[in-house]
Amino acid sequence: MITLYDYELSGNCYKLRLLMSILGIEYKTAPVDFYPGREHKSEWFLKLNPLGQIPVIDDDGLVLRDAQAILIYLAAKYDPSGTWYPRGNPALLGKISQWLSFADGITATASAARLHDGLFYALDIDAARAGAHRLFRILDEHLWFGEREDRDWICSAPSPTIADIACFPYVMLSEEGGIPRQDYPAIRRWCDRVKRIKGFTVMSGVFPAGPA
Amino acid sequence: MTETGCKDPVILNLWHPIAAVAETAPGRVADTVLLEERLGFAIDDAGNAAVWRSRPGLATGDRVEPLEVRDTLPAKLAYGYLWTSLGSPEEIFPIPEFAEPDRRRLNAATIGVNVSAPRAIENFLDMGHFPYVHTDILGAEPHTEVKEYDVEISIERDEILATRCRFFQPMASTTSSGGADVDYIYRVPHPYCSVLYKSSPVDEKRLDVIAVFLQPIDQEHIHAHMMLCVLDEENEDKVIKRFQQTIFGQDKPILENQFPKRLPLDPRAETPIRADKSAIAYRRWLSQKGVTYGVIPALG
Amino acid sequence: MQQERTRTRWHPIAASHDLPPRHVFHAQLWGREFAVWRADDGYVNVWENRCLHRGVRLSIGINDGRELKCQYHGWRYANRTAGCTYIPAHPADAPARTITNRTYPAVERYGLVWSCEQPEGEVPGVPGLEREAPLALRGIPVNAPAALVVTALRAHRFQPNGRIDGSDAEMVVKAADDFSVALSARADGAATLAIFFVQPVDSGRSVIRGVLDRDPGAEARNAVLRHHNAGLSVLRDNVERQAAARPAPAPIEPVYERVPAALAELPEPSAHGRKAALRVTVARKWEAADGIAGFELRPLKGLLPTFQPGAHIDVHLPNGAIRQYSIVNGPGESDRYVIGVKREADSKGGSLCLHETVREGDVLAISEPRNNFPLRRDAVKTLLVAGGIGATPLIAMAQALHHQRLVHSFHYFAQNEAQLAFGDRLDGLKDTLVPHLGLTPQETGGRLRDILSGYAEGMHVYLCGPGPMLEAARAIAGECGWPDEAVHFEYFKNTRAIDDSSAFEIALARSCLTLKVPAGRSILEVMREAGVDMPSSCEQGACGTCMATVIEGEPDHQDVYLNDAEKRAGTKIMTCVSRAKSARLVLDV
Repeated sequence: MITLYDYELSGNCYKLRLLMSILGIEYKTAPVDFYPGREHKSEWFLKLNPLGQIPVIDDDGLVLRDAQAILIYLAAKYDPSGTWYPRGNPALLGKISQWLSFADGITATASAARLHDGLFYALDIDAARAGAHRLFRILDEHLWFGEREDRDWICSAPSPTIADIACFPYVMLSEEGGIPRQDYPAIRRWCDRVKRIKGFTVMSGVFPAGPA
Repeated sequence: MTETGCKDPVILNLWHPIAAVAETAPGRVADTVLLEERLGFAIDDAGNAAVWRSRPGLATGDRVEPLEVRDTLPAKLAYGYLWTSLGSPEEIFPIPEFAEPDRRRLNAATIGVNVSAPRAIENFLDMGHFPYVHTDILGAEPHTEVKEYDVEISIERDEILATRCRFFQPMASTTSSGGADVDYIYRVPHPYCSVLYKSSPVDEKRLDVIAVFLQPIDQEHIHAHMMLCVLDEENEDKVIKRFQQTIFGQDKPILENQFPKRLPLDPRAETPIRADKSAIAYRRWLSQKGVTYGVIPALG
Repeated sequence: MQQERTRTRWHPIAASHDLPPRHVFHAQLWGREFAVWRADDGYVNVWENRCLHRGVRLSIGINDGRELKCQYHGWRYANRTAGCTYIPAHPADAPARTITNRTYPAVERYGLVWSCEQPEGEVPGVPGLEREAPLALRGIPVNAPAALVVTALRAHRFQPNGRIDGSDAEMVVKAADDFSVALSARADGAATLAIFFVQPVDSGRSVIRGVLDRDPGAEARNAVLRHHNAGLSVLRDNVERQAAARPAPAPIEPVYERVPAALAELPEPSAHGRKAALRVTVARKWEAADGIAGFELRPLKGLLPTFQPGAHIDVHLPNGAIRQYSIVNGPGESDRYVIGVKREADSKGGSLCLHETVREGDVLAISEPRNNFPLRRDAVKTLLVAGGIGATPLIAMAQALHHQRLVHSFHYFAQNEAQLAFGDRLDGLKDTLVPHLGLTPQETGGRLRDILSGYAEGMHVYLCGPGPMLEAARAIAGECGWPDEAVHFEYFKNTRAIDDSSAFEIALARSCLTLKVPAGRSILEVMREAGVDMPSSCEQGACGTCMATVIEGEPDHQDVYLNDAEKRAGTKIMTCVSRAKSARLVLDV
């Protein structure tokens, strides 16, 4: 059984809870007191992940860190439909990787701004917000033209991929970092679509959508 | 006195929480903001504390002996937090249960929220949102009714007291799997602090105590300090904290999407219903006290 | 002042494509935010972006196709009227009709959604866009005041639809004002007119909403859209650099309207007697079932007031009679009221007049809807039990429960299938509808016993039908362990003989009046003569509209509205038929 080293308010942990809920994967939660306890910097946790970051999973002895890496692993191993990470489609895999690193960019900006406002991390808040807006403009444009090309999701596939899961949490939590989404209507519509994926689950700060 | 952004004498003369003792490195200068004023503070291992208006020479992270800092503000440790005031504070409100020896006392977290303190207090007093915001934890549809309860403004204690509050909670106790009504008592003994008493899931005769102590950064930003004083011999601290942070994290987007951000005291600014009796009493109490900071005072 | 002048100007606030089904768009104009949503019937709602209850943005709420639900406390607001239809914290109460969100006009034109704070007249036509299907471009938000954006747009360049590859178009400013610029581009025989509307979002923020005079067709469309998106993005970056170099203007603080005084205190029902406040047209009349006429009533102008399931209206008939009919509508169906009228053999002029005299196109006077039969939505399971025409309020309830996916079953007793009314609506309720056809009274009793056995705490039953059936159902419910407060019923009429032989005194506590009620007169009549207005509807003790609170004294209940527990408690009285057993009644009036 998978053990997820988890902090409820972490969007990166939520990515994994979300995909595991959608794929119907059973898992155990090992709570990490990320805040205020800083347990991810504790000795026992650093043995698990020397980078001192959550999330980490332990799947029967296979220990993995990095939310995007774990998404790839979970989809590759546990998605019988093969649609979340389509191993036979190199072009699509390339695109997915491209957006996974875009998701890291969102973490570095929108999530950083949220940590600053909510948990008092010392960082350049104006730069974090400006960086998030720059990424959101790119994503909104991409999704707006997607709607014109009958593409509902971030990648050109008939159903969502892990790229959508990777980008969703910190987009959805951006307002907690003082980054409104009012100027990104195509992102707001995509968020509704993600919330309507079968098996979707919420975290603190994310409300469910109504019936489609 | 130095110029400050807050001109409200009621608020200036109160004790305000500025840090959880458990999260403060002993003997080191730390900094924060209270009522738009930058403050430095330090606590030593013996529980001596000092708070001062930030000044050069005492930089964050420096070693310092609190007892040796001069020109300080009032400072006091209570309920696991360091409190200070920019005016002349009276006694801090009592929470007698805090002294009971078999209780767990924790700072669940301190979290920054983009909202006024009174909006956050009103949310803390509110039960009607449980099924919608704390779905399947503190409430669940279709059990949405807020049953009649009693509210009084105690003149003698100068606090609001809401009693006989009940709300349906799924998984109400550790001993049964079903849902049931859970009892709540709410106190508002301070314009920016509230204390909640709730049926203990492990001992039906006693009540858990959960408090929010709000540190006003400015009129529309707070640090919410969440104190737990609960009966629980089973769970690790981090499990108890996680629960409380989950709840607070669910309220946060609601609070940050309320407009106006300051609490309007004009009775015609918003639409109260019977379930909001405690909020109506709170708004009246703030009006009667003449509080102006963090609120939009009623006209006339 | 610039702002004053522009309050009356229509601006685009969204594109039509921003409003897919079941979505809430977040718009803003001159600092004021809007929640904009399209209902399943296509209607575009533009509302102030604040729930009236606690100020939470409605743009984070849920568009369920018929109503908008606030995320904080689940308050539901109706399509069109923005009236509150349900407050979950008080499931037994019908919300005051006056809890209504502030709405703004919405007009869809040229692929854009237009609104205005204080409209004077219609959305003006735009020369050049009227001829063919225009094409709305992707809206470009700009962090700069509208004036800067307009100035930059006057020098903007683009290529006409047929020649987007080049960069040599001949540009002409065809028209421009403070919030729009019309540009034409010509190259190699191709020509395109583009109108760029600049939506003033706030003092320092704008959205460029461009519209081309014609859609280039499916093949070229996306390339054209990308061409304009790229050009406008460059313009945006330049304007934002200019704006960043200047001091940022303070955001506009929108003024929020106060709620009506009646809502500031916990509201009492408004006193409005038997007033026919509304004029409606009979838009459609049809046979809704064997012997039952359906009427679709539409407003002569404006919107109809918000209704809730269980509500009824008084219909003032051409022959002077006043009759009560339940609204059959489902949630969000707010452009009309639908009622069902059974032709009664012993009609004293009500149903006969509606069946025979009233035709499509006629104008009728009706009251505002009143809800004395409110539907709780906090039941673990709801049973609806209808007999004959008594189905009408329960069809409304069943549609609401079905739409909210709440557990329920709908038992509908009728002589035969042809007498099941509003078949089109029943079709949507197939999963929960159980017809019981052609039963004798005895068989009906047995069936009711089957239905009502198995009571569990948290269940509620709603009964409406002929008097004898209701009496039987209430008795059986009691025997099956249903507490009075879980059994809700509505009689069509009060068939009891009213004994009005007593004489007594009433003291009206809040009006400071003491009045004598002689034999042969009702409390309601005596109060009205003394100038005390009191709402009423059926005036025979069936509908509950004229209810008053008893402070002191013993009522002599003669109505069929209150249940037995309420009658025993003696704290409520129907002033149209009930009287006093004591010499004096003190009423909270």
